Amino acid sequence: MQSSQSIVRRGIIDALPLFIPAIPFALVLGVAIAQAGIAPAIGWSSSWLIYGGASQLTLITLLGEGAAAAAAVTAALIVNARHLMYSAAMAPVFQQQPAWFRWLGSYFLIDQVFALCVLRSDLPAREFRHYYLAVGVTFWLLWVAANGAALFVGPTVPAQWQLGFAVPVMFTALVVVSIDRWPKLLAALVAAGVTWLCADMPHRSGLLLGALAGVVTGVTCDRTERQ
Amino acid sequence: MNALLSILVAGLGTYFSRSVFIIALANRRIPRNLSLAMEYVGPSVLAALVASLLSTPSASGGPGAPELLALAVAILLAWKTRRHLLTLAGAMATFWIAGWLLGM
Repeated sequence: MQSSQSIVRRGIIDALPLFIPAIPFALVLGVAIAQAGIAPAIGWSSSWLIYGGASQLTLITLLGEGAAAAAAVTAALIVNARHLMYSAAMAPVFQQQPAWFRWLGSYFLIDQVFALCVLRSDLPAREFRHYYLAVGVTFWLLWVAANGAALFVGPTVPAQWQLGFAVPVMFTALVVVSIDRWPKLLAALVAAGVTWLCADMPHRSGLLLGALAGVVTGVTCDRTERQ
Repeated sequence: MNALLSILVAGLGTYFSRSVFIIALANRRIPRNLSLAMEYVGPSVLAALVASLLSTPSASGGPGAPELLALAVAILLAWKTRRHLLTLAGAMATFWIAGWLLGM
């Protein structure tokens, strides 16, 4: 029992510093929801229905810009496609877990939870479960609370501050941090360029075309480089 | 209603992407080509989003000097420090100061 308590404490302590970068994200999301004209309660529900900052911001922003719902949802899901990799990487560890935990644990599998828990995958099944839940629930509570708080703070920001510009800034930061090799840089540049050229396409569908062009460019360069 | 439905569908899709291997396909591996493509999904979609947001007509005819200057600062700060809060603060400060100077 003692070890179980300390592993839970360990999980909470590990999760807290990783939450700090998520705070500006929550604030920007609050601003985006207010600007999109989406009811605060509905905007907030994205924090626990989707539970993923970048995809929530993608969906809300695109809906606010007047994109077709199908295009906005597709873009949000593409942003979250990386979770497939986490799911595949975690599957062997979850094999030793009870069914209820496989269903529940999947819900908590965000970037930070994956990053922390993949390091603990050699823990005994029971302790791993406690650690995973401690990290996952801590993050979840903080994110849902931060999103709620942001809904009150967001609309109080004066319009002339143009805080909506924080949305592309945040996405720019995410792009830059995700680029670790030159094919990724090329993919990002092509994606942005094609989207820019297709800006007049209806319902913001140029975005999907641009993203596709980026992925194709990246994969092609990657293959060429490896040959 | 449209927004709630979109959020619900995006939520279900997200849960699917997190759970599919854990719950249903534990013994399967992601095909090599797909995992390679997924590496490029993040940078591509996010860069496309930035371009899409900047090209919006509501921003009074595309991005002005304050926007471009602020994004340059954001790129530099994110690249050098990898800290979101610092990047956001620096870029927004640049945006406001440049907007104020050019608006005078």
